[in-house]
Amino acid sequence: MQHETIPLPKTNAYGFYEIRLESIGGLGANLSGKILGELGALYLRYNTANFASYGSEKRGTPVKSYIRYAEPDKEIRISSPVEKPHLIGIFHERLAGKTGVLAGVDEETAVVVNTAKSPDEIRREFQMHGGVLTCIDGMKITVEEKTRMNMIMLGALCKASGFLPFECLEEIIRETIGRKYPAMLDSNLRGLRRGFEEGTTKAFPNDETYPYVPFTEERRSLGWDNAPLGGVVVTAGSTVSNDVSASREGYVPLFHQEKCIQCGMCDTACPDMVYQFVKGEWKGKPAMVNLGPDYHHCKGCLRCVEVCPTAAITAGIEYEQDIWKQHVRNQDLIVERLEFEDLGANSIVNEEKY
Amino acid sequence: MNEQKRVFHSGNELAALAAKQIRYHVMGYYPITPSTKIAEYLDELKAAGFSDVRMIPADGEHSAAGICYGACTAGGRVFNATSANGLLYALEQLPVQSGTRFPMVMNVACRTVSGPLSIKGDHSDIMYTLNTGWIILFAKNPQEVYDMNLCGLKIAEAVALPVIVAFDGFFTSHQERVAMIFENDEDVRSFVGETYIAPYHVLDPENPITIGAYMNEPDIMNNKYQLYLAMEEARHVIPQVFQEYAGITGRQYSVVQGYGMEDAQAALFILGSSYETAKEAVDQLRKEGLPVGVFTTNVLRPFPKMELFQLLSPKLTGILAADRQDSYGAEGGNMSLELKAMLQEHASSIKVISRIYGLSGKDFYVEEAVSMLRQAYAASLKQEVEVFDYSGRYQGEEEADRQQYFAPITLSRSTPGITSAETLEDGSIKIKGGTVRDGLQMPRRLAPGHGACPGCGIPINVNLLLKGIEGNVVLLFHTGCGMVVTTPYPKTAFKVSYVHNLFQSGAPTLSGIVAAFEERQRRGELPEGDDFTFVMISGDGGMDIGMGAALGTALRNPRMILMEYDNGGYMNTGYQLSYSTPKGAKTSTSHVGPAQYGKTMYHKDTPQIFSATGIPYIATVGENQPADFIKKAAKAARYAQSHGMAYIKALSACPLNWNDNPRYERSVIDAGVNCCYHPLYEIENGITTLSYDPEEKGKKIPVAEFFKMMGRTKHLIKPNFEEIMEDVQREVDRRWERLKARAESPVL
Repeated sequence: MQHETIPLPKTNAYGFYEIRLESIGGLGANLSGKILGELGALYLRYNTANFASYGSEKRGTPVKSYIRYAEPDKEIRISSPVEKPHLIGIFHERLAGKTGVLAGVDEETAVVVNTAKSPDEIRREFQMHGGVLTCIDGMKITVEEKTRMNMIMLGALCKASGFLPFECLEEIIRETIGRKYPAMLDSNLRGLRRGFEEGTTKAFPNDETYPYVPFTEERRSLGWDNAPLGGVVVTAGSTVSNDVSASREGYVPLFHQEKCIQCGMCDTACPDMVYQFVKGEWKGKPAMVNLGPDYHHCKGCLRCVEVCPTAAITAGIEYEQDIWKQHVRNQDLIVERLEFEDLGANSIVNEEKY
Repeated sequence: MNEQKRVFHSGNELAALAAKQIRYHVMGYYPITPSTKIAEYLDELKAAGFSDVRMIPADGEHSAAGICYGACTAGGRVFNATSANGLLYALEQLPVQSGTRFPMVMNVACRTVSGPLSIKGDHSDIMYTLNTGWIILFAKNPQEVYDMNLCGLKIAEAVALPVIVAFDGFFTSHQERVAMIFENDEDVRSFVGETYIAPYHVLDPENPITIGAYMNEPDIMNNKYQLYLAMEEARHVIPQVFQEYAGITGRQYSVVQGYGMEDAQAALFILGSSYETAKEAVDQLRKEGLPVGVFTTNVLRPFPKMELFQLLSPKLTGILAADRQDSYGAEGGNMSLELKAMLQEHASSIKVISRIYGLSGKDFYVEEAVSMLRQAYAASLKQEVEVFDYSGRYQGEEEADRQQYFAPITLSRSTPGITSAETLEDGSIKIKGGTVRDGLQMPRRLAPGHGACPGCGIPINVNLLLKGIEGNVVLLFHTGCGMVVTTPYPKTAFKVSYVHNLFQSGAPTLSGIVAAFEERQRRGELPEGDDFTFVMISGDGGMDIGMGAALGTALRNPRMILMEYDNGGYMNTGYQLSYSTPKGAKTSTSHVGPAQYGKTMYHKDTPQIFSATGIPYIATVGENQPADFIKKAAKAARYAQSHGMAYIKALSACPLNWNDNPRYERSVIDAGVNCCYHPLYEIENGITTLSYDPEEKGKKIPVAEFFKMMGRTKHLIKPNFEEIMEDVQREVDRRWERLKARAESPVL
């Protein structure tokens, strides 16, 4: 299908309409970028580019995808990231607070966030300077329609763009997903439509409630004058300052201490060293005793639930629980405060609190 | 003009499409980011029945280059793709290919050469090939990748030299752009020629030939002069081929290109995608009235000296040459040096300053190009400008974070006495203790917060191994998921000392550490009794490309442990087949489709290969039997402390690429053990002992039960794959029966 060419509603100084997708690995943002790229390139005949931020593309790590549209006769000479998007899709609300997610966003930007929360709540959480914000409950629709998050986000992004033709998007889904996974096509198309229809939108003008975040290149405190030679790392075990909570997909293990027999099977099944065992006493004898999980480092795989012989660990739905009441700080730490770097805001824990 | 069609593809995909349309006989390859997608996409086209290029997954880039060379000497049209250290590993073969004059095409998606290891794009790899005798074309965008692949083969065959088509890793290899390709494959083949008539090949019994005779002086002088002449001939052939190509596509190429050069007083010289970006900067500065321009070359070899000089306006007095690599100590990257050499030939007084930029994929923004052009302009005015510098470097903050989060794991802390060992009369070692409960006392040598996927088996297996190893340890990891997720600079997940090295040198590196430790202790530089257990961790990928070096190490029998976590694929690069991938499994280089059923080889029996080296201890382990795992780790440690090398293999879950639910991975591993795909056993001083016999326990299951738990193999359960499934079952049974026979007989 080829659609009549729609003039781009707005462009930047280089003549591009730019889209940025902010996601974490596993939610399908790269495929969404590819589909938006094909939509522009093959259906609307724009000159188009699509690329992603690359790194270790493991599940749960932050990923960005960029799409540039230009009028057919306009060359795309730039390969650097999208700094000031016209349209931005945020695939996970845990990306709030993550460096650079809202870079370049202001009242001129259409913002789509996958969340059950209201635009006002999301604006507060993300500290958004301004923008036309659409909230779409992607998780709910995903479950109800047995589809994938990217379908809902694509539908919502299409609507928020104000110019991308929905029927072309449907056609692409039929052509790509439909050909590869015909059994999934109907549910995907339903997800796409509900994404298009069910968002809640509110416009926030630029005001001084939250400052504008300009795009900046990443920089570290270590440079050529002070980095240990040869790239050596001298801070042993320093990944402990990463909070990996955003890897969880809705479920968490719950620990029931009274049922625990200190067998240690959970520790043999946990890739993330979540359970905190310390020297103590059990049934009157010295033993390594399980104090419970360190939720900053739990990725929610639930392997521990399956290997626990006494149901002392069960699976729970994260938003129904106050997991931080159960949380046990990593017992090996020798620092009092730990400033976490994570996918889910700049949380700080200290010993007084936990 | 031949009919063209509009597509939206990445540079890698377009290289693959060109290969499919050319209909190469053979692609010998080994996956390496960012070039991997070329082989993946060709395999996908093959599985769908659209391509008949014979795909050969080598055991490393060196072998891939060998496969390509061999196929060329047999008269085939041959194709390859690689990057970075893969290119350097193959480097030795490149002059063989050119020196014996066999044309082929190799794509290089340019990437930073390790170490420290970086997967991103720069030109530090491609510049190593300048002296190899290959023609090197450089494509600036995905369209050019396609076009240069088609022109490249024609050029290669015209002058009997191999051709590299180079392009920016990620920026060009992964960026999807609108491109035009030939609608009909026949048109491509009529352009490159339906078949290639090799002047010499080994498949003509009527005309027996010798390729690669041994040659000293004076003949090498003449042989290399022939190569020089071929390069000179290429100077003429390349524009001719470009001209012919323009005639059928409308896409006209030239060996060099300039923008705003006609009247430029100052110019930027830059390669690849950055050239396009710099054009925006030229436009900006021209609006300000600055007479600047940018120029580039589309051909690195033969270096188009004359054409480059002709681009320079008589007004030009300053050039900034920007290189995405450094020829350390020469104060300039290679293109900068060659540009200066070219100007010297013309006794030019143009001032050239050099900048190293964009290393490891550091983005190149219009602003940086503007700044470079301003510096070139300053140089043109004879103003004071640094002659050489790194663009975008920074000093670092005085108060840089050096916080320690954990107390060091001292010898006493890491010796809780979980296991004890006794040497029996027959020389074998018996381990006592090592229960899962006891194991909890061992301090964790690995910290959380690493980037492994939820449910990943690697940290689980590493932790179980380390629970059994008392005392100091030094770890060495091969490249792979385990390495990448644990050491994202400036952080590390390791609380004990750790070294990374590349696939072919993990085992030798650790054996070198062992040797220096022994020697330093013997000389009294390290205290007696302060011993270490030296542990190497590799994936099954590392045991493909690193197999030769690992076996060589085993034959030297140093005091170390090598644990292989076998998840059956190259997971770190997006799941390409490894030799340990199950037969029939779906991977990104063994697609399932109408023309192909998945991987065609059996899974590799690595423990049995190591068994032939005669090392004192070999064991297989599974996380489903953690106490057995810890005991075997303890035993391996005893052997590594006093006897020599131990090899341990763990079947390791990869939820992402096994395509199953991470929650249930332990039961998948359990099934892998119970179906005897991964039987648990030891070979101690040559004596095989089964650690667990599922038949005896009444738990043996068909391999199909294991395969159906994983998305990557569950298609094999369908009736149309019955033959493959039966075949795999037969092979697993054969290995199991042989293993039992070995366990029963002390001489086997």
